[in-house]
Amino acid sequence: MPSSKSTSAKQKSAANAASATTHQAQQQVAQTSNAVQTLLKAYNETTSSRLKLIDTFLVFLMLSGVMQFAYCVLVTNFPFNAFLAGFSSCVGQFVLTASLRSQVNPENGAVFKEVSPERAFADFVLGSIVLHFFVYNFLG
Amino acid sequence: MGVLSLCLLSLLTLTSVDAAILTLQSPRFTITSAAASQLRSEPISLKEKPSPLTLGAADVLKLSFQVVEKDGEKGVQPHQTFLRFYDPVTGEEGIQPVRVSSTGKAKFELNMAKPPASIPPTTATNLLSVSLLLGSFEHSPAKYELFDLVLPESQSVPLHELEHTFHPQPPIHHTFRAEQKVPPRIISAAGAALVLAPWVALLGLLAHLQPSVPYLFSINIIPFIATLAAFEGLLLWYWVDLKLGQVLLYGSILGVFTAAAGKQALATKSDLRRK
Repeated sequence: MPSSKSTSAKQKSAANAASATTHQAQQQVAQTSNAVQTLLKAYNETTSSRLKLIDTFLVFLMLSGVMQFAYCVLVTNFPFNAFLAGFSSCVGQFVLTASLRSQVNPENGAVFKEVSPERAFADFVLGSIVLHFFVYNFLG
Repeated sequence: MGVLSLCLLSLLTLTSVDAAILTLQSPRFTITSAAASQLRSEPISLKEKPSPLTLGAADVLKLSFQVVEKDGEKGVQPHQTFLRFYDPVTGEEGIQPVRVSSTGKAKFELNMAKPPASIPPTTATNLLSVSLLLGSFEHSPAKYELFDLVLPESQSVPLHELEHTFHPQPPIHHTFRAEQKVPPRIISAAGAALVLAPWVALLGLLAHLQPSVPYLFSINIIPFIATLAAFEGLLLWYWVDLKLGQVLLYGSILGVFTAAAGKQALATKSDLRRK
């Protein structure tokens, strides 16, 4: 009888340890999701709608680039110049838009004293047109 | 140039008209065997060739003649005297110079036990036609067919080590990299859907965001938007149809308008922002 008692005690302690680890893992997942949710909430509340507009464009460009790259890696890179043109257009436009966002953001006003938002937008437009020209050249 | 060649030609004709003709006096051949017994000895007639001479592996052919002028009977030492051994079937020939004394007498000996290097390669059946070539500055050149000669067959010529490379080589077959293939339509369609999916995400986010553009169609700003749209249209047109020079020309013209419209639009916007 003492042996069965010890085995049952051992089993119990093992079960306790297992439940403790799963509880810990669940806690960690909950913490990360909490962090993400907090981040999203803060972003939604503090960012102006115009910056959010630029951000949607940035997200779109990033997704677009990732999809094109995935297609090139998984399926084929057959018209390689087309892949390069498309991917570089995503990357280039992302860079231009990100620089526009940082120059237009009122919180960065101290850093960009001599660049007005309108000037930043004009630079963005010029850069975009030149980028589009080169991309169409390479698209074939 | 033409006058000079005419003069040279006339000089040549003048000299050849007066030049004397060389001929042979008492040409004779003798074939003796290795044991010094005479096998054949005949005078050579310049008008009719004798029957073909046959030499064994160790026989000796002796040739003697005197070179004289045709009319004068005077012995002449020509500047060049050659015996030409020619095989008309294979085209091989050999030239042997003959020493002629100042009086015009000449002797030539061909010992088959020690043949000179100037004899051409011979085959088992072919005849060598032997002729005498005489060259002189004061006389017109002369060529006399003497006789036909049958010599023992020579050893075949050893092949040069690179001889096999001088024949047509096997044809070269080039293998090129295979053409790149377009993937199947289903996969292409799936790929296209995958790449266009972000547009759906963009439209969804914009619908969620509902951005306001209150001044988009105001009179100061709309030309700028229109010229930007025209620029995109120009680039699309360039993609399908235009050439580089054309697009640069149209682009620079449109660029002037865009810059003017943009200045106006952005000045208006900055005023709105400050207000």
